[in-house]
Amino acid sequence: MSDFLSIKNLRASIDGNQILKGINLEVKPGEVHAIMGPNGSGKSTLSSVLAGRDDYEVEADSVTFRGQDLLELAPEDRSREGLFLAFQYPVEIPGVSNINFLKAAINAKRKHQGLDDISAKDFMVMLKEKQAMVELKSNLANRSVNEGFSGGEKKRNEIFQMAMLEPKLGILDETDSGLDIDALKIVSNGVNKLRGADRSFIVITHYQRLLEYIIPDFVHVLFEGRIVKSGGKELALELEEKGYDWIKEEVST
Amino acid sequence: MNKETFLKQFDSIPTQYPIQGEARAAIHNGLHFPTTRDEKWKYTKVNSIIESNFNQNETTISNVDSYKMDASWSYQVFVNGAYQSNLSDSLPDGVQMTSISKAEGVMRENMLTKLGQLFDHKSEAFPSLNTAYFTDGAFLSVSKNTNVEQPIAILNISEGSAQASNARNLIHVETGAEVKFVHHFEGSNNTGSFTNSVSEIFVNENAQADYYLIQNEGQDTSSITNTNIAQKRDSRFTIVTITKSGQLVRNNINMAIKEPGCESNMMGIYFTDGTQHLDNQTYADHQDHGCNSNELYKGVMADRSTGVFNGKIMVHQAAQQTNAFQSNQNILLSDKATINTKPELEIYADDVKCSHGCTIGQLDEEAMFYLQSRGLGKEAAHRLLVQAFAQDVIDTIEIDSLKENVSQFIESKFE
Repeated sequence: MSDFLSIKNLRASIDGNQILKGINLEVKPGEVHAIMGPNGSGKSTLSSVLAGRDDYEVEADSVTFRGQDLLELAPEDRSREGLFLAFQYPVEIPGVSNINFLKAAINAKRKHQGLDDISAKDFMVMLKEKQAMVELKSNLANRSVNEGFSGGEKKRNEIFQMAMLEPKLGILDETDSGLDIDALKIVSNGVNKLRGADRSFIVITHYQRLLEYIIPDFVHVLFEGRIVKSGGKELALELEEKGYDWIKEEVST
Repeated sequence: MNKETFLKQFDSIPTQYPIQGEARAAIHNGLHFPTTRDEKWKYTKVNSIIESNFNQNETTISNVDSYKMDASWSYQVFVNGAYQSNLSDSLPDGVQMTSISKAEGVMRENMLTKLGQLFDHKSEAFPSLNTAYFTDGAFLSVSKNTNVEQPIAILNISEGSAQASNARNLIHVETGAEVKFVHHFEGSNNTGSFTNSVSEIFVNENAQADYYLIQNEGQDTSSITNTNIAQKRDSRFTIVTITKSGQLVRNNINMAIKEPGCESNMMGIYFTDGTQHLDNQTYADHQDHGCNSNELYKGVMADRSTGVFNGKIMVHQAAQQTNAFQSNQNILLSDKATINTKPELEIYADDVKCSHGCTIGQLDEEAMFYLQSRGLGKEAAHRLLVQAFAQDVIDTIEIDSLKENVSQFIESKFE
């Protein structure tokens, strides 16, 4: 049982459809867990439920994050406690500047921790440093959130925000989908720079390729709403070779 | 209360100009106050006004500094419609002003050629009420080819409970002049007050004028503004209506675009809550060729507040090569808020570009969740999204301190 993230028998349904049918997962600080699965297996539902989207009916024996009942927390409180979701399809928010929004987010977290607002100088220093980390052009940072960004720029912006907010748990929801190999490398690089003893990641992906750059400690296979197989990083390679049909067969026997 | 009883409370006001006698005759005989059976007042009831007893106190205030958005503007102060010369600032070069009741000499002659020209005071009740019973007002004129840098602020303060004032303005921007006006309505201890305002604005050839109408008389007040503008060739006129408060607010803007080459802009931003009712009626009358008009009104409505937008564009046969655009966009923050929005286009020329559009929606849920997932609370997320929504109207404000004031207003309203 992990004090960091412990998910016991998590179920979620939407409009009467049961999508997650009992997820069990333990994540310790510093670990990178990959969750792979075919389309429709419940990958996005899992990340949405952990981030706190209210579209779902959620039940569980328990879901605790850093000692707190995660499901009781509003989305903004989950973020302030150190959970960050990098969206698969980041939304564009015209008129809200990237910079203003980040500053507000950082200050919301600091307030939660009993700290004063970040100074303008410290903010600028942090901004430059993290921008460089994900090779995000500075003019993009000055624009509205994701407005007019290419797919790759949007994903880099997600990692940039994660770098700015310094979460304890980063959930990457199919961050690699739609990226070419160069963008993939930049994004992976950014994530790898953020790895550390007190930061964990759940990397949700359909494709094994990402996991050559972000090397996981554990790989889990999600199939029809359940984790049906777990292993080390070799499991990803085995899955790549044999395909998801292999899992289907294994599960049905 | 019937019409006569309502009007009786004003009849003891002495008339100053013949036009007032004519308007009084009209309003007593024949004119009726609008009811919801009148098409243009379908959604706006005026019973709370015409069934009330009002005071008409001539009063003064000792200090108006707290109302000033920017002390560097040239403030012309009116309390309950009456000019307060001791509280008013000097005017920049090229700008002349006289209080309508104290006009003398050339200014007075000038004023009389224009007073009442842009309103048919025999045909509509509220403008007629104003013409019949105004006690004072501002006649402002800007000399030919003068570029006035300093904004001229007309501050109308309604003071005292259940106060009725008929605020009157006459503005003449002469050929080639450039000027910015802020017409600012405020209130103090004025629960139950009613302000009925008429502004006539003459924009001469090649002149450029910005006019900002700021409505902030307070919670429990009624306000009817009637602003008629006449533009001569190659002039530009922009009016931005910013409604911050008011229980019952009705704004009528008519732009007579009489000659070619004009640019006419009507912008509006409003925030309503509680049971406020706000009705914006606009009319862009394209009478001649080659003119552009542009209209953008945006509103954020909460609680059980109700709103109306009715924008009419008329393009006469002579108005070829007209470009006329209109858009009204609304965000409803609750499912009990209501907006009735209707464009009207009447087009008699065949070489024109006209468009209209309106949207009514909620704050984008995806955007809300995205912001919350980054740690912003609901209120903070609302604030950012409302600010973003209002930004393009705010960007049309050419006075920096006013721009800042409106942004601050949004910050504090969505705390």
